[in-house]
Amino acid sequence: MKALLAIALFLAVCTSAMGDAPLAYQTIEPSKIIIGETAILRITSLDSELQNVKLPEVSGLSFEVLGHSRAMEFINGTASESSSIIIRVTPQIAGIFSIPGLTPKSAPLILEVNTDRNSGNLPLTLNGKAPRPPAPPEPKTGSVAGIHFVADGSAFVQLKMPKRAVYVGESVPVDIVVGVHPGVVTALNGLPTIKGGDFTLNNLSRQPERQEEILDGKPFLTMTWHSVLAAVKPGDFSLTVETPLTVKISSRPSEDAAFANLLGGPFLQNFYNGIVPKEMTVESLPADLHVLSLPTVGRPPDFSGAVGAFKVSSDVSALKAAAGDPVTLRMHVTGAGNFDRVDSPMLEHIDHWKTYPPKSSFSAADPVGYKGEKIFEQPLIASQTGEQTIPGLSFSYFDPETRHYERAQTEPIKVAIATSLADSSLKSPAVAENADAGAARAAAANRSTAGLKADHALTRGTENSLIPLYLRPRFLVIPAALALLVAGCLIGIRRKPQHAASKAIERALAQLNAAARSGDSSTFLDTARSLLLQNLAQRWQMPPEQITTEDLAARLGSDADDIGRLFELADEAKYSGYDSNATEISRWLPIVRRQIALAGTT
Amino acid sequence: MRAANVAALVVALASFVSQSFAQEPADAAYSAAGLYNLANSYARAGKPGMAVLNYERAALLAPNDADIQANLNYVRASLHLPAQASSRVSQILRLASPTSVAWIGVLGVIILGASLLSAKLSRRFRALRLAGIILGITALSFTTCNALVQWPKIREAVVIVKETPIRVSPVPMGDALLQLTEAETVTVTAEHEDFVLVRTRTGRSGWAARADIADVVPRHTVR
Repeated sequence: MKALLAIALFLAVCTSAMGDAPLAYQTIEPSKIIIGETAILRITSLDSELQNVKLPEVSGLSFEVLGHSRAMEFINGTASESSSIIIRVTPQIAGIFSIPGLTPKSAPLILEVNTDRNSGNLPLTLNGKAPRPPAPPEPKTGSVAGIHFVADGSAFVQLKMPKRAVYVGESVPVDIVVGVHPGVVTALNGLPTIKGGDFTLNNLSRQPERQEEILDGKPFLTMTWHSVLAAVKPGDFSLTVETPLTVKISSRPSEDAAFANLLGGPFLQNFYNGIVPKEMTVESLPADLHVLSLPTVGRPPDFSGAVGAFKVSSDVSALKAAAGDPVTLRMHVTGAGNFDRVDSPMLEHIDHWKTYPPKSSFSAADPVGYKGEKIFEQPLIASQTGEQTIPGLSFSYFDPETRHYERAQTEPIKVAIATSLADSSLKSPAVAENADAGAARAAAANRSTAGLKADHALTRGTENSLIPLYLRPRFLVIPAALALLVAGCLIGIRRKPQHAASKAIERALAQLNAAARSGDSSTFLDTARSLLLQNLAQRWQMPPEQITTEDLAARLGSDADDIGRLFELADEAKYSGYDSNATEISRWLPIVRRQIALAGTT
Repeated sequence: MRAANVAALVVALASFVSQSFAQEPADAAYSAAGLYNLANSYARAGKPGMAVLNYERAALLAPNDADIQANLNYVRASLHLPAQASSRVSQILRLASPTSVAWIGVLGVIILGASLLSAKLSRRFRALRLAGIILGITALSFTTCNALVQWPKIREAVVIVKETPIRVSPVPMGDALLQLTEAETVTVTAEHEDFVLVRTRTGRSGWAARADIADVVPRHTVR
C-alpha cells in the first residue's frame, strides 16, 4: 500500500514537475572539482534554438564557449528537439561559486572548487587525466564541544573568548569562527556581528583565516576572524555572534532524495531531489561574560582609562644640543590593551626648558591593534646652558591581571646644552617646528658676521645732515663773513697813511701859524715853500725837487704866479737875508692855506 | 663811529648765520653710533648692501672710528669685494670729525685775519703775528683738504640688491655692460629719470636703476 502511494505520489509530482518544468535549463558537470580541472556548463533549450548567451561574470571563474549541439530528447514519451551551448568553466581559486542562470528561465548552479582531492567528497574526474596532487596532511579533527551546529549540521558559529571576567573599557581579544560544510553552504552573505548593544566589536580582521577541519565526522571549512571586544558598562551579559549564510537544502522528503540519488545523472538529480538555496542567519551559543567596573580606590589622578599590561621607556633625539635648539623627548608605551585610551600629557612645565604639546602615534603588532607600541613625542627647547636633566615620565594604567592600578616610570635623562649658535634666545612654537633649518641659517649668518665689532653705545649728539659741516652752504656763510670782515678792516687800515699825511700837514700848518705869529719871515717862507712842495708833489705824484716853474704855470693856472713869487721870496730870505714885514706874512698865509686845502680836497 | 659800524656789521652777520642754521631741515637725526649699530644689524641679517651703506654713512660722521672702518672692510672682504685703499694723508685728514674740522677752519680764518690786521696796525710782536698767520693758513688748509677728500663721498652710492645690470643707456631695455653685485660702491655722476649714471671703482661707467642703489648721502640733503 505504501509502495502504491509512493508511486502515485511520484507520478503526481513528476506530472506537476513537468507541467512547471522550465523550457530551458543548465547543468554543470562535475559540480565539484579541484584547482587545475575544468567543468562543463551546458545550457539546453527545449522550445527554441539558442543562439548566443551572455557569459556570466563570477569572480574566480572563467568561461569559454566550446560550441553548440542539437539533440532529440524524449520526455514522457514525447520526442522534442533541443539545442545546447557547451561552455567550459575554469576556476582560478578554490571556493564555492554560484553561477547565475544564463537565460531568464534557467536556475543558478553551484560549483565547488577545492584545493585537493581530499577536501571533500569529490568524485573522480570523468576523463581521469587530471594530475593528482600530492597527498595533503590529514585534516584536524576538532572537538564538537561548545559548537552549535545549525542548518542540518552544515554550519556553525562560535565565539571564543579567552577571559570570562573583564573590566569596563578593557579590550578583550576574541575569535569568531564560522564553519561551513562545503557543498551545502553556498555563500557567506555578510561578516559576523555581535548581538547586543552593550559591547563594541572593533577592528574585525578583514580576511579570515581559513582552515579545513573534520567535525562530527563531516568536513568543515572554518573561517576565523580576530577582533577586540569592549564592554561599555558593568554587569553580566550573554553574548552571541551571528552571521548570514546561504544554505542549499532539500525541499523534498528524504525518500524522494534517496530515489533521486538512484537516478544517477546530475540533471535528473537536480530535477528530482528538490534542492533549493536558502538564506538564513546562524548564531553561536551564548557566552556568558562578567563585566566589572574599574575600582575607584587607588585610582591615580593621571589615569586616562588605559587597561592592560604596559611597559614604558623614554629617550631623546640628542643628548647634546645647543641652547635654543629643539630636542624631541619620546616616551614609548608597549604592551597589550586598549591603546586608544593610552594617553600622557608628557611634561607640562620644567625649569630651564620650554615645552610644547606632545604628539602620539601608534604602531600595531597584530591585525586588531590589541598589541603594539604607542610613541609620544614632545619638542623641548633648552633655555640654559650646561647639563640639564629631563625628569622621568610616568604613565598610569589598570592591570586586569593584578586587578590594581599600576604606575610605570621612566628614568631621568641628562642632556648637555651648549651655548647657542644663534643670537636669538627662545623661539616661538611656529619657529620651533622649523628650528633645524632656522638654526642652520642663524649659525651660517653668525659664522659670516662673527668678525664684526660690537655695537656702540648710542650717544645723544645727532646731526641733521650727513653732509660734512664745511660743505653745507649755510655754514660757509660764517667763514665768508669773517673773511669779508677782515678784508674790510684791512682796507680801512690801508687808508690810514693819507690820514697820517693830513696830520703832518696839520702839524706843518700849525708850525706855519706859529712862525707867522712870531714875525719870523725867513722861517715862515721856508716852511710855506716846503709845505707847498710836499703838497703839490703828492697831488701830482712826482718828487718835490722835480717841480719846476713851468709845472706850476701849467697846472696851477692863475695861482702859479703867487706860488712862484712865494718860492722866490723864500729863496731870497734863505740865501740873501730878505726879511719881510708882518703885513706881507699875513698876505701870504691865506694863499698857502688855500692851496693846502685844495690839495686835501683833491 | 667806525668801531660802531664794525660792531653793527658783526652783529648783522651773526644774526644772518643764526637764522640760516635755524632754517636747517631737521627731518632726520643721524648719529654715527646709531648708523653703525644699524649696519651691524643688517650685516647679521645677511643684507650686506644695506650694511655697507650704513657703515659708509657712519663713516661720514665719524671718519676716525676704527670700528666702523673695520666692520666695513670685514663685510667687503666677506663678499670678496676689494677693500678701499686709504692713503696716509687721507687718514690724517680724517683724524677729526667734519664738524670739528669745520670749526677749525673758522678759527683759522679768525686767526689769519687778526694776524693780518695786527700787522697793519702795529709793527710790534712781529714773530707772534707771523706765527698767527702760519697757524691760520694751516687751519684753513687742513679744512680745505679735508673737504676735498670728503667731497666725493657725498656722491657715492651702494648697490643694495643682489645684482644690478649696468646699461649703456638709461632705459630698461638697454644693453647691459656688466653686473654690479651687492655692496659695491659706485660714484653717481648724473641722473636721468629712474636711472643714474654711475662710475665703478674700476673706472667703468654706465646706467643703473635708481631703485637698485642707495646714496650714501640721501638725495634730499644734497644741495
